[in-house]
Amino acid sequence: MVFLRHILPALLLAVAFLVGWEGYVTLSGASPLVLPAPSDVANGLWIERRRIATHAAATIGVATVGFGLSVLFAVVLSVLLHFAGWLRRGLLPLLVASQTVPIVALAPLMVLWFGFGLLPKVLLVILVTFFPMVVSLMAGYATLPRAFRDQLVSMGAGRWQVFRRATLPSARGHFFAGLRISATYAIVATIFAEYAGARRGLGIYILTAKNTFRADLVLSAVVVSALLTLSLLALIQLVDRATGRRFRGARDA
Amino acid sequence: MLEVCRLNIHAGETALVEDLSLTLATGRLTCLIGPSGCGKSSVLKWLAGVLAPELRVTGEARLDGVALTLPDRAIAYQPQQDTLFPWLTILENAALGLEIRGSARAVARREVQALFPAFGLAGHEQSFPDQLSGGMRQRAAVLRTLVQKADVMLLDEPFSALDAVTRLAMQDWLLTRLEETPRAVLMVTHDLFEATQIADRVLVMARGPGRIIADIAIPTPRAGRSEAALAETRSALKTLLLEDTR
Repeated sequence: MVFLRHILPALLLAVAFLVGWEGYVTLSGASPLVLPAPSDVANGLWIERRRIATHAAATIGVATVGFGLSVLFAVVLSVLLHFAGWLRRGLLPLLVASQTVPIVALAPLMVLWFGFGLLPKVLLVILVTFFPMVVSLMAGYATLPRAFRDQLVSMGAGRWQVFRRATLPSARGHFFAGLRISATYAIVATIFAEYAGARRGLGIYILTAKNTFRADLVLSAVVVSALLTLSLLALIQLVDRATGRRFRGARDA
Repeated sequence: MLEVCRLNIHAGETALVEDLSLTLATGRLTCLIGPSGCGKSSVLKWLAGVLAPELRVTGEARLDGVALTLPDRAIAYQPQQDTLFPWLTILENAALGLEIRGSARAVARREVQALFPAFGLAGHEQSFPDQLSGGMRQRAAVLRTLVQKADVMLLDEPFSALDAVTRLAMQDWLLTRLEETPRAVLMVTHDLFEATQIADRVLVMARGPGRIIADIAIPTPRAGRSEAALAETRSALKTLLLEDTR
């Protein structure tokens, strides 16, 4: 049922797109240097699988560290903003402003400031991914029903107990929504950071492939990047399901 | 005995509750009735320590002559809305008050679990609130309030969301529980029938501003109350309330 309702439509559309693309390239005689056919991309992916895997592993490493720290940072920051009204009023506009800085401008500067190591890439991933999570968590905290808060306060709960017992659980759905949005940016942000300067990673692989006019290999790396993002989203879905029984109530009972 | 002395609640220049005084005796169930907006829930919220901070309040609550700083452990409160947390099991929900008041988790849950049969909840310890009927959820909520061992229980329309039959059963059930562990109970209700059926005393509030306009004691033991006497009391209450709404 899940396959029919959710997977089959996406699968059919993807197959139709690839068939159309393959047909267009074959019939139009487009140069593979400009537009390689999906079969060329698959072929390139197979031939280059070892090199791409090495670069993908580097990307996964950076994305894992960056995204992990980003989640931690977002949660801690959201708690601070929740408890300190003056900090929220002062910092939130600055955080919004931080999201208007183009990553294209920031990535080379990060390399300039912090070199080619892990730090500039991790910082860039954090900068790109933490904001949706902070905003989602703040929105989630605001959904706490007043009656829940009153119930706890009447029992003698302090602010922290109200937060831990009711505000935080109330925000769970919002947190996972923000996590999913951020996850879709995490791999792309890592690749962009690598693109600006790195020794290994899908970003630098794409740059090298582009410089040698290998559009098929550029697209091969793009396919791997998409698969990595989908895997990250699937992992989040899995964690949500595994830990969320009590938040779905009787629907899953 | 809980005393409320000269309670005034203002929202800006508007008086919501004016010069309200009442006493609640242990082992007695007092019902507070009155039209919507007369300040019944505000009185309860003030006693529970959860009144909106922007409201201006003067007045004092005393327990056995000692002034209280609200919220106080001596008072347990059950709001009008269903406040069982949907992410906690019934056992976790019922033990919440004890845990917040300092009991160790295991101790609190053991203590609460022992009361599950008396509350008709045995076998539902690990159920979630949305898996239970309305009556069972209310019993769980009352259990959570009762088990806090507070001297005073504030119940804000605890049975208003229930159907008529379940409500009657719940009224009998609540009285039995209160006989087992006597408390001073202040219960808000809109239902004249419910008030005369279960209360030892009925306080009638009028609005604009909220104040007590009648204090009607029902001295007869509940079992001995004749339908004719109850009907007479209900009729008197109805007249008072209708006069106020004119």
